[in-house]
Amino acid sequence: MRADSPTVILLGQPNSGKSTLFNAIAGHKALTSNFPGTSYKHTHSEVNIEGRLLNVVDLPGTYSLNPSEPAEKVILSHLFQERPDLIVNVVDASILGRSLELTLELLELGFPMIVALNMVDLAEKKGIQINPNTLEKRLGVKVVPTVASHGRGLKQLLEAASFCLDHPCLATSPPWSGDVEEEVRHLADMLPPEIIIAGNPRFTAIKLIEANKTFCLEVLAEAEPMLKSELDLAKQRIEEKRRAQAYEVISAERHHLALKLAEESSRVRRGKQLRWDERVDDIIMHPILGYLILVLIFLAFFFLIFKIGGPLEGALLGPLAGLRTLLSGWLGSGLLFHLADGLLQGIGGGAAIVLPYFVPLLFFMAFLEDLGYLARAGFLLDTFMHRIGLHGKSVSPFILGFGCNVPAVLSTRILESPRDRAITSLLIPFIPCSARTTIILALVAFYLGPVWALGFYFFNILLVAVIGRLLTLFFKDPSPGLILEIPSLKAPSLVTMAQKTYLQLKSFVKFAWPLLVGGSVVLSLLQFLSLDKVLNAAFSPLVVHGLGLPQPLGITLVFGFLRKELSLIMMLQALGVEYKNLLTVISREQILVFTVFVSFFIPCLSTFAILWKEIGKKIAFLSVGLSIAVAIAVSLLVRLFF
Amino acid sequence: MMILRIILNKLEGTGKKMIRLSEAPHGRQLRIVDVQGGEGVRRRLFALGFHKDDLVEINSQGILRGPLLIKNLTADTSVAMGRGIAHRIMVEVVPDEG
Repeated sequence: MRADSPTVILLGQPNSGKSTLFNAIAGHKALTSNFPGTSYKHTHSEVNIEGRLLNVVDLPGTYSLNPSEPAEKVILSHLFQERPDLIVNVVDASILGRSLELTLELLELGFPMIVALNMVDLAEKKGIQINPNTLEKRLGVKVVPTVASHGRGLKQLLEAASFCLDHPCLATSPPWSGDVEEEVRHLADMLPPEIIIAGNPRFTAIKLIEANKTFCLEVLAEAEPMLKSELDLAKQRIEEKRRAQAYEVISAERHHLALKLAEESSRVRRGKQLRWDERVDDIIMHPILGYLILVLIFLAFFFLIFKIGGPLEGALLGPLAGLRTLLSGWLGSGLLFHLADGLLQGIGGGAAIVLPYFVPLLFFMAFLEDLGYLARAGFLLDTFMHRIGLHGKSVSPFILGFGCNVPAVLSTRILESPRDRAITSLLIPFIPCSARTTIILALVAFYLGPVWALGFYFFNILLVAVIGRLLTLFFKDPSPGLILEIPSLKAPSLVTMAQKTYLQLKSFVKFAWPLLVGGSVVLSLLQFLSLDKVLNAAFSPLVVHGLGLPQPLGITLVFGFLRKELSLIMMLQALGVEYKNLLTVISREQILVFTVFVSFFIPCLSTFAILWKEIGKKIAFLSVGLSIAVAIAVSLLVRLFF
Repeated sequence: MMILRIILNKLEGTGKKMIRLSEAPHGRQLRIVDVQGGEGVRRRLFALGFHKDDLVEINSQGILRGPLLIKNLTADTSVAMGRGIAHRIMVEVVPDEG
């Protein structure tokens, strides 16, 4: 981070459109990095705004700034370290009262701040008209209405940001009810300077009052016994007067103040009326229809990807084969040909076999995510998750896992209990990610028919359930119940979906494709030097005798650890056939066994790395052992029954 | 057991009828009277905007005694809630107007 460019931090509740706003102003060259010492990610980008270079940071969405929640603590400490020159608080205007709770908590920090009143179009559709001027007066900071998904209000927002970087825009938090406010002030006045956080006594006092028992209070008791007893007295007075725990009183203060501010600054034009999203929600969350629709969505999802990917793949493979024949004509069969062939297989395989399925999958995932369907699937599937010892909150990581296991493991952070996180993370590598979907569609659906591929999926999900049930036997402590916010349905914007697909595609082209090309070239070289035979011979007990596959496939399974698609691309290369002629050298049964083994046999390198980093070494290695055992067992079963 | 009995006695003593959210009627306006349970769960509920005196409504439920879909009418948000947690939220039915 450059010291000379001012830092602007975007903060907001989940689903406030914060990331959409970030992408709209800074997305094109965004970088993702970890918070120091953790694997919590934040995205930042340098943007040139009217000649001024800004360092814009997008922090993960958060409901509050409670230091006893690990994810929220990271945000707090980042705020203190970074000392942003400006906070842009992104607020969902359609649920203003709810969103302002975080705003009020941010105001307590006393950093320079402006508010992006986002999704005002949605609020208007709900019949709520918000007067930004009134809100601005009440909050004491600038308020700019925006619609990030359509780029509305962005210019004004940036102007306001620019103004606040030149002029002081310090936030002050509106006072609370007399008695609570008095206790806070009283405590703030007594704080010794060395324990004041961020130079703000009021903020420190509030955090001390609402902190839970474990949080630094014991340290305080030792270092400042006087202060500790004053704090306890203050809490006691609040609790006696309000007949509720101190943290509840503070939270209720923000809640009621937020509702009051929202009421004062908005006008409801229409009475209560069923809106389209409520009507749709009544159907897709219906106790019977909801499940029917869930199944239909996933069937449609699968067939659409296959119907788009299949023909595309067929169309691209022809020219690729032609190019290969041309190459061998030019270069003969020496080292040069092998190098060129490896390159062609890697690049061409990526373009013709992987991308046709990968891109539509990414696009549909973005669609479901933007629509807000993942949380709804969580609600519907909670019952079934209970059967395997988890609950509905694990559904969203699982569904993300169909895209890529890596973000899926990252997203297990939403789970509160370490037990749920461990089990979910162990199960995610069994979810067929886009790489494996590519293999399943390109091999099973293409050669055995789409019904077989669908059956494969069904069996796969069943397998996840069985493994989950078995795993929960080893984790004794019960899972805490489900509390999952269901965001309002949003009509997904094509631009945002395209943007998301593009960003993911970019990371595929940057990181995964080179691996595919490199792997193909290495295999080519090994073949040229006849080293592949040595390796294949070493694996042949498992590959030939155990799995009943052709010996040359041994080496491809090893490379599958780097990237699952690599096994597919290298399979063709190792067998020395064109994709279209695959059935001349390998039987349908062998295709199925190969797909099963590749799908389950080990989490790919990136998944392994993220498991290690996020959940721990033990779970990462457990995952490897588990998947090898499952892959061998299931492959043998397929051989037995087919 | 003792504690439970004391709580039950207290509940009967109050004027309005308190029921558990998990047993409350669907589609009726309910007022949250008390949020019970451990500190962790209570903090999570508060962070999601569920407080005493808020008006809520049960909108749907998952099959096979699945979770409840609770709409908070005061904050205009929806939350899917396991029955175990809904069991700890005490509510009273708001009489229909007119």
